[in-house]
Amino acid sequence: MTDVILEKVGKAYPNGYHAIPSVDLSIEEGEFIVLVGPSGCGKSTLLRMVAGLESISTGELRIRGERMNEKEPAERDIAMVFQNYALYPHMSVYDNMAYGLKNRGMAKNLIEEKVSDVAAMLGLTELLQRKPRQLSGGQRQRVAMGRAMVRDPKVFLFDEPLSNLDAKLRVQMRVEIRQLQRKLGTTTLYVTHDQVEAMTLADRLVVLNKGKAEQIGTPMDLYNKPATPFVAAFIGSPSMNLIDANLTEQGIKISGALTLPLSHQHRGGIVWGIRPEHLEVSDEQNADFALRIQAVESLGAETLIHGKIETESGNGEPIVVRLSGPHLPDVNSLMWLTAPVSHWHLFDAKTQQRL
Amino acid sequence: MIENRPWLTFASHATLLTGIALVALPVWMALVASTHPASAFGVGHIPLWFGDAGAETWGTVLFEKAGNGVDTPVWFMMLNSLIMALGITFGKIAISLLSAYAIVFFRFPFRNLCFWIIFMTLMLPVEVRIVPTYEVVANLDLLNSYTGLTLPLIASATATFLFRQCFLSIPGELVEAARMDGAGPWRFFFDILLPLSRTNIAALFVILFIYGWNQYLWPLLITTDDAYYTLVMSIKRMLSVTDGDIAWNQIMATTLLAMLPPVAVVIGMQKLFVKGLVDSEK
Repeated sequence: MTDVILEKVGKAYPNGYHAIPSVDLSIEEGEFIVLVGPSGCGKSTLLRMVAGLESISTGELRIRGERMNEKEPAERDIAMVFQNYALYPHMSVYDNMAYGLKNRGMAKNLIEEKVSDVAAMLGLTELLQRKPRQLSGGQRQRVAMGRAMVRDPKVFLFDEPLSNLDAKLRVQMRVEIRQLQRKLGTTTLYVTHDQVEAMTLADRLVVLNKGKAEQIGTPMDLYNKPATPFVAAFIGSPSMNLIDANLTEQGIKISGALTLPLSHQHRGGIVWGIRPEHLEVSDEQNADFALRIQAVESLGAETLIHGKIETESGNGEPIVVRLSGPHLPDVNSLMWLTAPVSHWHLFDAKTQQRL
Repeated sequence: MIENRPWLTFASHATLLTGIALVALPVWMALVASTHPASAFGVGHIPLWFGDAGAETWGTVLFEKAGNGVDTPVWFMMLNSLIMALGITFGKIAISLLSAYAIVFFRFPFRNLCFWIIFMTLMLPVEVRIVPTYEVVANLDLLNSYTGLTLPLIASATATFLFRQCFLSIPGELVEAARMDGAGPWRFFFDILLPLSRTNIAALFVILFIYGWNQYLWPLLITTDDAYYTLVMSIKRMLSVTDGDIAWNQIMATTLLAMLPPVAVVIGMQKLFVKGLVDSEK
């Protein structure tokens, strides 16, 4: 069953700025959707429009078939987890979680039952009488989630909930959020700028760029078949090598000198891309091109090699190679690489669309 | 580094003790004076140690009549002062809380203009607008009434400004979270805003109570009935005796009694007061 539908939803501010021109998205029940994009791409605005904290300028938002544009946030049957948790500082953990239920006029014993259930699920039972300031960042995060969960909403909204946690806790909470969402089966809309978070959490990803949905799909779809150079660069770390090139009858001409043979009916300017992990080291005879190494980052499990394509003029395109295991090549030495055709990504330079 | 310079310690202690002595001396003199009979002052020297008429003077002043032409006892005038001071304090706090709430959390046309108009009333204390205010109060038939004593002093730009600053420091996400939790404007005000500005309210209470208690000119102007005389203005009346000696012992006792409530408020609310001025836990 389709749970949430955004139909041509757009946001324009009174000063004429179109933050979001038009977004179409339909979310299935129980689906985990992640809105991802660089800061200022409109992902938070979109979430806040679903929450009812921003008005919807154009288009329609439907939750379970019901139009929501004019409804107050509290009437939309949604719950939101904020970036800074937004816990009420003067209330105990229990009161923080119970407040929304109290406002709905729920019976006291029912509230108590619900809160203690959720608290047990999140491991907060011991902390119910504490004030938010006596909690650690991770615990506050959990209370914020508990506050959302006690209301049994139709939709969860998360606004960069992990960005205030340290790296280790972030990974732990990420796993926890995913497990909880699976267990509860609640439709979830999650905003983040962190592509690792996005890839690991999402059933489907929405990559936003300047208020436009560049691509919507499963994480693997987006990784394997990015629709635009923007998505290609955004998904995956380190990001894909993208090089302006020319498609001619001989193949792809890169950096003036280098030509990679390819027969394709398209002609003219293209963007040629290959992920750092798909480049392979080879010997001089079979190599597609040589790389002049500029820097080596050894991370133990993998090694990132930064360099430039070796050309006669000396100003070749920068390339990153990702090799598994430790490697220690000399800086300024040459490295021979092949780029398997099956891993190429080609985009039209003009339309920015995948070829 | 821990400083260990005995001379510095000595000097700073000496300075502080001198300061305390300077501040406390007049209070001490008043206390001593109230324990001597009225005639002790005619001789020309000021006694420095307690006399033996203390209990009698204090008893008369507090329960019978303040003396020097003021026939009401001090406890009654204290009550009047208390009603006025508390009326002004609570009125000011309530009005400023509401106006700051409106200015910070609601979008209405000319919002900023409203704020600046309120702010400009800082330039118009009672003393400046006393004639027109008197006229208004007289026309409303509020002379010689508690309403007349308190109402014209209730509007407060300072308190509005303070609450505005306090509310502005409340993060927007908290407001939004409350909206998601289904809290309407009133619920938000009572459940979230009031508890969060608790310490600010306490700090303002102290300041405003002293302000209200010490009102002198306004009560002097609009009360002509003994039943509404406040303590602070009565002290002045006790001094303007035309015939006979001034009973300084009674005046001193009355003055000390007039000091007690503000002192009690400051001491009682000291902790909250400091917290309200310093704390920014939000």
